[in-house]
Amino acid sequence: MRVVIAEDNVLLSAGLELLLATRGFEVAEIAGDAEAFAAAVERHRPDLAIVDVRLPPDFRDEGIHAAIEARRRHDALPVLVLSQYVEQDYAGELLADGRGGVGYLLKDRVGRVSEFVDALHRVAGGGTVMDPGVVRQLLTRRPRDPLESLTPREQEVLALMAEGLGNGEIAERIVVTENAVHKHIGNVFAKLGLAPTDTGHRRVRAVLAYLDRR
Amino acid sequence: MRDVWERARRACGYLLVGLGAGMVSMVMLPLTVAVALTVVVAGLGYFALPRWLGVVRAWADLHHGRAARLLGLPADRGPAPDRSRFGPLTKAPSTRRDLVWLLLFPLSSVPAGLVALLAAGLAATSVLLPFWWAMPPGQELQAFGAPVTGWGTALTGIAAQLGASAALGGLVLSPLARAHARMNFRLLAPSEAELLAGRVDELTRTRADVVDAHGAELRRIERDLHDGTQARLVSIAMQLGVAEEAVQGDPRVAALLRDAHTGTEEAMEELRDCIRGIYPPILADRGLVGALRALAARTTVPTRLDAGELGTLPLAAETAAYFVVTEAVTNAVRHGRAGAITVRLAREDDALRVVVHDDGTGGVDESRGSGVVGIRRRVAALDGTVRVTSPVGGPTEVEVELPCGS
Repeated sequence: MRVVIAEDNVLLSAGLELLLATRGFEVAEIAGDAEAFAAAVERHRPDLAIVDVRLPPDFRDEGIHAAIEARRRHDALPVLVLSQYVEQDYAGELLADGRGGVGYLLKDRVGRVSEFVDALHRVAGGGTVMDPGVVRQLLTRRPRDPLESLTPREQEVLALMAEGLGNGEIAERIVVTENAVHKHIGNVFAKLGLAPTDTGHRRVRAVLAYLDRR
Repeated sequence: MRDVWERARRACGYLLVGLGAGMVSMVMLPLTVAVALTVVVAGLGYFALPRWLGVVRAWADLHHGRAARLLGLPADRGPAPDRSRFGPLTKAPSTRRDLVWLLLFPLSSVPAGLVALLAAGLAATSVLLPFWWAMPPGQELQAFGAPVTGWGTALTGIAAQLGASAALGGLVLSPLARAHARMNFRLLAPSEAELLAGRVDELTRTRADVVDAHGAELRRIERDLHDGTQARLVSIAMQLGVAEEAVQGDPRVAALLRDAHTGTEEAMEELRDCIRGIYPPILADRGLVGALRALAARTTVPTRLDAGELGTLPLAAETAAYFVVTEAVTNAVRHGRAGAITVRLAREDDALRVVVHDDGTGGVDESRGSGVVGIRRRVAALDGTVRVTSPVGGPTEVEVELPCGS
């Protein structure tokens, strides 16, 4: 799998490159700022991009804009955004096009190599991966939402869904049968008013539902 | 001896310059009256008088400075009046003081200057006596009333004139100059109240500078911690993660690495909390409006943000405004049981107005550790104002005005 990285901190980009190389990824290019990133994506047409939120010259939220722009120009290019802190606003902006293939993780998670690599594969495969921190923010800060009507178990399932896990993996994680997970997810969809169209997109929209209810 | 000579020379110079300046001032007096009279001539004076008063002020400053130097005192004339506003300028105490001084200055300078001129003249002309006697015939020269007729009288005359000059210089000029300087210094010195007003202005300005510099510093520290220390920790966690996978065969080493990894993660978490307390990262990334929008989005109570065009805000005002809104919104949610919150921001000339309104139960008690105390302290540091209305039963409104310079 070919990856383009946008990260200005040499320490981190070198670390990422090393880590990805041990797991069979091919790092096509490491871009130091948003402009170089756009050019690198254009040149290499990678399968996945990893983008830091803060990039030169101003170190604000250039990475978010660069990621959204790259997805717009390159057919929803799968992008995983890494951030120093959790901000649900950023997650919302990344998810806004509703096309999947998006991840938003705290930089800390990179150290959990296996989980991080899993997340990369999920995003590259069109899934959605949200940092547990974002999910926590959403669940604790929205008690008056329709989300309130979810049972704790359903909330847990939704949280894991937002992290990008599939039904089987969720079942494994909370130690229930896959069938039970299926039922929980059905309840979540129903309570959030999501019509049974394409299930894959409904998963994304369930996460989006949190972010829309502002 | 050298001291006496030096003092006399300085005093003499001071008084001689004063003599010239006094004569110039005599011309300036009627000119002032003439310029003032132009006020009635098609408003010309509204343009001319402030400029002329500026010249008078500079002239007075110059002589105040000279007097201060002679006396060895600091020359502080207080802040100059605002020359762009006609009314306050003509009524300013400092303007009146300048004009009184302009009237009295020639009266004191000219006589005192003449004494200095006499002392200098006596010394300068004394050496002429022998030449006068020796060279041209005809006219008769006198030294102190006695005709100079030969070497004897000439030398006696020289001695007498130098003696008189030295006596004047040594005994009279220095006290005279100091008396003159003291009088002018007092005439031009600002009153205690004016000095205090000037000091307050200065303190207000420097405090704003300090608060601003402090804000910039916090922002820099936030950046440094995020991009330096935090990034380093992430890199360590990454290496530990890779190492952990590589030593699966040795459970003891693997356990050690896992502990190290967990410790690193905790350190990152603590550092993040610490950074958030120093300077909210979202404020650094998105500016005030962006940060408040994010705050509104994650508040459990529906919160509406109304922000007009705010222009460029000083860092300190931005940080304070963010703090005020965060605090007020937290209060409304936690204690006020609000159902809806509105945050309004508007730039009004030199101030940023922030209003946080909620429809909660009201009855905010400032004495009981509510966030209002923190808001007041924060706003006071910027010389802003806080108004809290919170009748029992609601609604609660916190209104803050933060000065933004211009």
